[in-house]
Amino acid sequence: MRKKGQEEMVGFALIIIVVAVILLIFLSFSLRKSGQTQIESYEADSFIQAFLQSTTECAYYKPSYLSIKELIKACDLETTCSNGKESCKVLKETIEEILEQSWNTGEESVYKGNSLEIYSKDKEILKVQQGNETKNYKGSAQILANGLEVKFKLYY
Amino acid sequence: MVKNKSAQLKIQQMTFMLIAVTLFFVLVGLFVLSIKTYGLKKIANNLEEENAKLLVAKLANSPEFSCGDVYSYSEINCVDADKVIVLKDRKEYADFWKVANIEIRKIYPVTANKECSLKNYPDCNIIKVFSKDVNAGAYQSNFVSLCRTEILEGEKYDKCELAKILVNYEVKE
Repeated sequence: MRKKGQEEMVGFALIIIVVAVILLIFLSFSLRKSGQTQIESYEADSFIQAFLQSTTECAYYKPSYLSIKELIKACDLETTCSNGKESCKVLKETIEEILEQSWNTGEESVYKGNSLEIYSKDKEILKVQQGNETKNYKGSAQILANGLEVKFKLYY
Repeated sequence: MVKNKSAQLKIQQMTFMLIAVTLFFVLVGLFVLSIKTYGLKKIANNLEEENAKLLVAKLANSPEFSCGDVYSYSEINCVDADKVIVLKDRKEYADFWKVANIEIRKIYPVTANKECSLKNYPDCNIIKVFSKDVNAGAYQSNFVSLCRTEILEGEKYDKCELAKILVNYEVKE
């Protein structure tokens, strides 16, 4: 009789332990999920739309400074700015600085890296990459006039 | 007499038992209620966060912020800086967007952090459109092009800078 009671107690204790372990696993999963920072799909789209409108230091005649969108066209035609700088050089410097200021990429950051590619009909005009490439990314592309295309990928 | 006493004891036992059972259910009820209330607050905060995300994605294109056809190369996600500086701290808009804070920060070109006012505009880089004195949650952000008209050597031209629009939602406690 006493032995049967002891067996029942051991069984009950085992059930409690199993339930507690299951609860802990669920709890750890739910906590891990809530701590994640999500990358929103609109971020890459809005970045590409906004940065293409930014005014650059390149102008054919002052004060008509070119936007990045116009500078891409200028670079495709391999023109020179009024300050004597090549339009492609200004484009590369401007885009590199914009990417550096806009996205805090790194191992500890949510964003592991990014890449921006600009293509004309038959060639690659510019490719800028920061941080690491990963399998997970959100991308956005914008097609400009004259067969120009801007592609942006945000790795996380 | 002995039977009477025994009955009284049983009634007493029953009373204690009923009180204990009632107390137990009240405590369980309170426990469940507190968990549900916490859940409701969490749901309310999640809804606020979702609202802030939706707002930040469309705010730049709302009539109060958007460039419209004013600037030569402005398209979508273009914010008129001249409009926003006038909109700053307008009491009429205090409860219009139902969020805790809205501000715009210039990203490129890089300048020293300085809050904008009507006196120092445009030599500044943070426009606090409005801010409520409440417990604000994490901000939601979106990229915008912040445009204004500049004058160089007597000639007007349009200048657009890359900026981020930040929206904080109110955390319910």
